[in-house]
Amino acid sequence: MIAEIGHLLLIGALVISFFVGFSPLCRFITKDNFFYRVTGPLNILVLFLVLFSFISLIYSFLNDDFSLAYVANNSNTLLPVYYKLAATWGAHEGSLLLWIFCLCLWATSYLFFNRKKDEEFVALTLAVLNQIICAFIAFTLFTSNPFERLLPIMPIQGSDLNPLLQDFAFTIHPPLLYLGYSGLAVPFALSIAALISRNIDSVWARDTRPWSLLSSGFLTLGIAVGSWWAYYELGWGGWWFWDPVENAAFVPWLISIAMFHSLIVTERRGLYKNWSILLTILAFAASILGTFLVRSGVLTSVHVFALDPERGVFILVIFSYFILGSLIIYSLMNNKLPGRSTYSLISREFGFLLNNLLLVILAISIMFGTLFPLIYEAIYDGKQISVGPPYYQVLILPFAIGLSFLQGIGLYLGWNSTKEFSFLKRIAIESFSLFLLICLFVFLVFGKFSWGSVLAIAMFCWIVSGNFIELIYNSSHLRDLKAVLFKRLALISAHLGMAFLVLGVGMVTTFSLEREVVLSEGEGYQLGDVTFTFKGIEEYKDLNYYVDSARIEIKRNDTVNEVRAEKRIYLSTNQTMTEAAIKPTLLQDYYVTLGDHLGDKTWSFKLQIKPFIRWIWFGAILIAFGTFVSSFNILKKSHE
Amino acid sequence: MNRVTHFLPFIFFIFFIIALFSFLDKDEDQLRSVLLDKNFPDFSLPKLESQEIVTGQDLSELPSLLNVWATWCIACRVEHPFLMRLKEESTVKIYGLNYKDQREKALKLLDQIGNPYEFSIFDQKGKLALDLGVYGAPETFLIDEKGVIRVRHVGVLTEDVWEKKFKVILDE
Repeated sequence: MIAEIGHLLLIGALVISFFVGFSPLCRFITKDNFFYRVTGPLNILVLFLVLFSFISLIYSFLNDDFSLAYVANNSNTLLPVYYKLAATWGAHEGSLLLWIFCLCLWATSYLFFNRKKDEEFVALTLAVLNQIICAFIAFTLFTSNPFERLLPIMPIQGSDLNPLLQDFAFTIHPPLLYLGYSGLAVPFALSIAALISRNIDSVWARDTRPWSLLSSGFLTLGIAVGSWWAYYELGWGGWWFWDPVENAAFVPWLISIAMFHSLIVTERRGLYKNWSILLTILAFAASILGTFLVRSGVLTSVHVFALDPERGVFILVIFSYFILGSLIIYSLMNNKLPGRSTYSLISREFGFLLNNLLLVILAISIMFGTLFPLIYEAIYDGKQISVGPPYYQVLILPFAIGLSFLQGIGLYLGWNSTKEFSFLKRIAIESFSLFLLICLFVFLVFGKFSWGSVLAIAMFCWIVSGNFIELIYNSSHLRDLKAVLFKRLALISAHLGMAFLVLGVGMVTTFSLEREVVLSEGEGYQLGDVTFTFKGIEEYKDLNYYVDSARIEIKRNDTVNEVRAEKRIYLSTNQTMTEAAIKPTLLQDYYVTLGDHLGDKTWSFKLQIKPFIRWIWFGAILIAFGTFVSSFNILKKSHE
Repeated sequence: MNRVTHFLPFIFFIFFIIALFSFLDKDEDQLRSVLLDKNFPDFSLPKLESQEIVTGQDLSELPSLLNVWATWCIACRVEHPFLMRLKEESTVKIYGLNYKDQREKALKLLDQIGNPYEFSIFDQKGKLALDLGVYGAPETFLIDEKGVIRVRHVGVLTEDVWEKKFKVILDE
């Protein structure tokens, strides 16, 4: 019964969002402003309909309503309540509903911040957003309905939520990621509205920027949590795999970063208008394309989703409608855009342009790598290849260097042209001294060097000098310094986050240690600066799995820690899962995976040391924090 | 001139979308048809476990499965427990095709997580994989007692897939 109500509410949302989506058209025909006025209230109604529909699905999960196919496939009575809740978005159908709900939230918060703005413009934006909502509700209802019943024969017990997904990080990973993905629809909608109403100016750029910043921030968090999850849950210490699904999130992330940087120039200088508009379209395209790649089954990936070619066709039709439609509007409307001015090659404008080119070319290359197996196959008639991590690792390096270089000096380039170059010398000196210091420190701790780590440290120092040390140097008084730090909080935090990220990636790639060993009870093994000792193993049964739990002692100098590496067998699916034991410290993680039972009290283990890995996620958090602060500041300013 | 450049993104995306639609056409039937019901291709490659060269004749215990795997393939870990189960229940013999991998790493991994294979063919250059039209790892082929490829499955081998695609053919 509850599920039927949820189903009906969703159909209601479909109808109303369709109406909102085309109400500006009705206004155009009837000239009645009523059609503008209703978009706001109706948009809120859509939000509530989707919300209650979502709640009814959650309710079905919590009450083990296995007559719903979706519930029966992804939950069972043994599952702890917390994971029953998370199972709601654990698979395709429910996660789509979550996606739609996120989009409704975005549309409504846009409405909230712009309720006093120009009625026509807001109505246009909401209309575009509601068309997107409508398209995705249709997609859900027609190809992947979570409210489908398994009647008359309903199972008594459900199968299970994939044990890999029974985990805290995984319960927050999809919502964060979807907030990011769907948030990209707002800048897109603002672009279309601006193209149609023909006012692309600095106010438009300022109003668009917070939304692109916010979605960029959520994407950062979503990707970081996903990588953290892969790191400790897959049990073998990897944190990024260049898997198609990861790329599908990474590409929109890169484009969204390019987008809000380009919007800065549009706001301040009235330049790059076409480019900003194209980026909003491109970002949204990448976001839908990601969904397409993941759900249609054209690419195989670790992320095992329900695949269905029919869904692929549907998403592709949605993609064509929005992207081709928006590009047609772009081509027809925008060629009267003024805003051509000249600037010298060494100017902030040009710096932003380079930043954008690097980011977008990188994004396109990654997308190309992801699609390359398909292209190759099409050309060479069925012969197939795959593109692995080596391609991406080689690819990303020059872009990382270029972007780090720009980040270091970008703040000191002048608009129009740069008059004064003394900053170059100072940044060089500052970063070089910092570089020597860190190199010395790293050498003392790890006792070795490699080109990769030196390069990463160099990039780190360059960014830190330009975005932090030089700012301190430039402010003569302490009060002055405080003001600068506060005013630039968002920028400093995001750029330092990037520096930490680069450093973390460089160090973990070059300095990781790993060994596979066989240990009997009481036996120890020395790796790097620590000794791992196998203390014993226990077997017991938890709520929905059996577990072998090994106690490992990690001894470093005089500090001793005990951790547990586990192997679980889930009752309802018989799947085996490893839970790695991780002892995190500031500089490095100690990581133990339990292998096989090799006879009496003897087990195999995989021991790993991962230097600076935490810094990657710390950096990501700083970046996200920076984008949130920045968007908050802009929203506050424009609301006043 | 300016007008034309404004249409460039649109034109680009038209081609892009046509390309995406064409990818969708590549459904599984087409994937299978290249090899389906043909003899297993000839090959001569070293074993993973030793340097010994194996050929088609060494896949002697038919019907059997040929499973394409590699240490860099994460999805292979997902299907690994299921392969182990097939081995333990001795439903069918499984041969491995270690695809574009490093011998040492591969052996270590098998040591660590268990070896479901009779033996693995060490195909570092992907020669046999190319003849088989392997799309990526994991992939699983069913070879019947006459040495003919009967089923090809791209992606993780699950209970469900096993029941629907493989068991039906085996039971014949």
